[in-house]
Amino acid sequence: MSDLAKTFIKSKLSSLPENTTNNSNPTPPSSSSKPPPSTTNGTNTTTKRPPPSPSPSDSDSSTSSISSTGTILPPPSQATPPPTTWPSYFTSELYLTRPATPNQPAAKYHIYLTPPQTPTSPLLILHHGAGSSALSFSLLAQSLHQHLPTAGILALDARNHGSVVWDSPSTPSTDFSLEALSDDLISILHLTQQYESWVSLPPLVLIGHSLGGAVITHVTSLTPTPLPSLLGYIVLDVVEGSAIEALSHMQTLLAHRPSSFSSVDEAIDWHIRSRTLRNPESARASVPSLLVIRKKDWNTGAGGQPGNWEWRTDLGATKPYWENWFRGMSGKFLAGRGAKMLILAGTDRLDKELMIGQMQGKFQLHVFPTAGHFVHEDVPEKTAEAVAEFVKRNDRSALVLPPKVSELLAQGKKV
Amino acid sequence: MSIGGSDLDKAIAQLRACRPIPENQVRELCYKARELLIEEGNVVGVDAPVTICGDIHGQFHDLMELFRVGGDVPDTNYLFMGDFVDRGFYSLESFLLLLCLKVRYPDRITLIRGNHESRQITTVYGFYDECVRKYGSANVWRYCCDVFDFLALGALVTGAATSLSPTEGPLAENAEAMPDIDADIEIETLNSAGEVMFRYARNSDSQTSESSQTLGSSPARPDPTPTRVGAAGTGASGSSNGTSRNEGGAVLCVHGGLSPLIDTIDKIRLLDRKQEVPHEGAMCDLLWSDPDDIDGWGLSPRGAGFLFGGDIVKRFNHNNDISLIARAHQLVMEGFKEMFDNTIVTVWSAPNYCYRCGNVAAILELGEDGSNAGFQRRSNGDRGGGGGGWVLGSNDGTSTRNSTDNLRLPEGPGRRYRVFEAAPQDSRGMPAKKPVADYFL
Repeated sequence: MSDLAKTFIKSKLSSLPENTTNNSNPTPPSSSSKPPPSTTNGTNTTTKRPPPSPSPSDSDSSTSSISSTGTILPPPSQATPPPTTWPSYFTSELYLTRPATPNQPAAKYHIYLTPPQTPTSPLLILHHGAGSSALSFSLLAQSLHQHLPTAGILALDARNHGSVVWDSPSTPSTDFSLEALSDDLISILHLTQQYESWVSLPPLVLIGHSLGGAVITHVTSLTPTPLPSLLGYIVLDVVEGSAIEALSHMQTLLAHRPSSFSSVDEAIDWHIRSRTLRNPESARASVPSLLVIRKKDWNTGAGGQPGNWEWRTDLGATKPYWENWFRGMSGKFLAGRGAKMLILAGTDRLDKELMIGQMQGKFQLHVFPTAGHFVHEDVPEKTAEAVAEFVKRNDRSALVLPPKVSELLAQGKKV
Repeated sequence: MSIGGSDLDKAIAQLRACRPIPENQVRELCYKARELLIEEGNVVGVDAPVTICGDIHGQFHDLMELFRVGGDVPDTNYLFMGDFVDRGFYSLESFLLLLCLKVRYPDRITLIRGNHESRQITTVYGFYDECVRKYGSANVWRYCCDVFDFLALGALVTGAATSLSPTEGPLAENAEAMPDIDADIEIETLNSAGEVMFRYARNSDSQTSESSQTLGSSPARPDPTPTRVGAAGTGASGSSNGTSRNEGGAVLCVHGGLSPLIDTIDKIRLLDRKQEVPHEGAMCDLLWSDPDDIDGWGLSPRGAGFLFGGDIVKRFNHNNDISLIARAHQLVMEGFKEMFDNTIVTVWSAPNYCYRCGNVAAILELGEDGSNAGFQRRSNGDRGGGGGGWVLGSNDGTSTRNSTDNLRLPEGPGRRYRVFEAAPQDSRGMPAKKPVADYFL
């Protein structure tokens, strides 16, 4: 840059208003503590109802969550919804309730649904990992909708992650076994089928991240299969071998994350700074749903200060189940019916069983080197492309294979 | 500097010691290799005898073990069916050594392309990172990828003998009952010490089929039930199929398998191969497809290529006068696996794949039928066994099991498999163990 140019720019800069130059400074403590407008919005809505949906539609959802089954559609006033709420990514939010029966406990499941557009369109089921939520699939769902406009998308909250299953009318269940979570997934599908009045379940593609991957893999291994219309399944960034190895570090990881945040924005910021999430847009969509405001318990004195945001799910309480989740997963993944795909973040960390399976051509593998563990949040567009290609490829209604030799012979053709 | 003559020999010596050669030599080498490869057709003609090898995947020390077991270049004529790079820690040294040998002895080593010889795949599965780590830039990776684009897509081996003369070596401890030494030997399996582990006679009688049953899961197991009719000696001469076909039939070598778009070998010859491996189409299928126990064609779970059944293989072999398709691409725990009444074989040459899979590796030796100048037994002091060249001999052995079996197939070549295990690993130079995943649950 020439001296002349420098002088010119300097003179231009000095003529700009004072606060513009202030903004170019590294964020001063004062500005970070000042909540931006979105926080104000979120905090305001929590007075009516805590997250996961800090949106103007909250009043609707809180009423319908009491009723047995309710659909919340985005209100017409919400022409350009803020990017952090579910109406940008899904058609409806549902609370599906199930009364207690002798075989099953009472439950209230929370899901987001974009129904399939035609009877033959596939339905993609998205199951998040431990400590995450349905909204972690927000951006993926948005991209998937662009690639597969007629496909349906169902993102669910697992129990204690937005859904509740009760042991008794007053005690939420603490059973976190793979079997219980798998039952939840199957129940949600059947409740959705009833709610949407589908004659039968559409062709299904199960997609699970981390713990969710273990759940969907377990579902595919059940006999007799509870989901005869299953086309295939996709596991996002979890491998039995490396997951079991990592379990011993999980406690340390858990201990090192903050137990509460003073605001949703602070929590989003932490997720980005710690590189837990690497895509700020996705963090804005997913992080609010991970938190709840804990009111001080005046009887015991427990609980955070008023206004403190804490994790919705107590991951530490799930520790007894960690091995149960992942043990035997690779074998189940390879043995399950249907097409299989594994999407890994960072490096290829296949265990021995999957390495053999991959080199024998038993499943499709994608590795996204730039992504972190939350691969669907970090690179939603790339993930959606891979998923869409997988769905299209395995969509039986569109599949045409070359003829068999025996058919040619039967037609009297020379082979 | 130019790489040729003694420089090339120096480079070979350096690479054999598992030391990379300087970047400018790589550039020169790749340039020379491209000049050579561009002259080759999509389907390279190869005369037997030849030793056919499957995936290597950068397992340099195991490649050295392969040369110890199979003989050295140029003493042994080699055909490598691709996947030289990725996953192992020495893709660079392995590929450059093979390439040096190709430039130095162009008629004694044939390299064809695998699905990992591609820009997209190598950026994910290790070769790219290895080049950047060892040279500080991606230049060498780029030179190598330019060579990948020129590699042939397949090879056609002609002049292979239809039977082996048994190796006069000692029998392995766990060797199964052997057929009569006078029988025409179709398959022989040797361990890395050259000891005979298994021998199978063409048109085998009940005794050998019994032995093959006791072998149970042996990779060389022809069908548990004898599928070939008639005892040895029926059918008399090899041309008694009533066709004027060569008695042996050629062997097509390709990395993956067949394509629904390719019904004749000539169609492979018409492809424009000088490009990155496409995501679909004939060229992609040849490098990605797998045989499977299905009828006709199926979707490949890999996401590229197809699955193809025994009917497809038999029809293709019949229409193209091929007795056998040799391919790689799939890990086989036993090193090799014949399928569909011995019409296709998978050869896997990376023992203990990725340093953790616990598999053995194999190479496939085809002898020559004696119509050329006589076969010279390689002298390789390192190899046990010795003796036993290849002899001309044949018997008619057409099986008649189902509709496609009515197709008359040329008689398969005599096949000697040498099975070997991973070389003792020197852990020095191995990258540190991958860090534990920073998983969240």
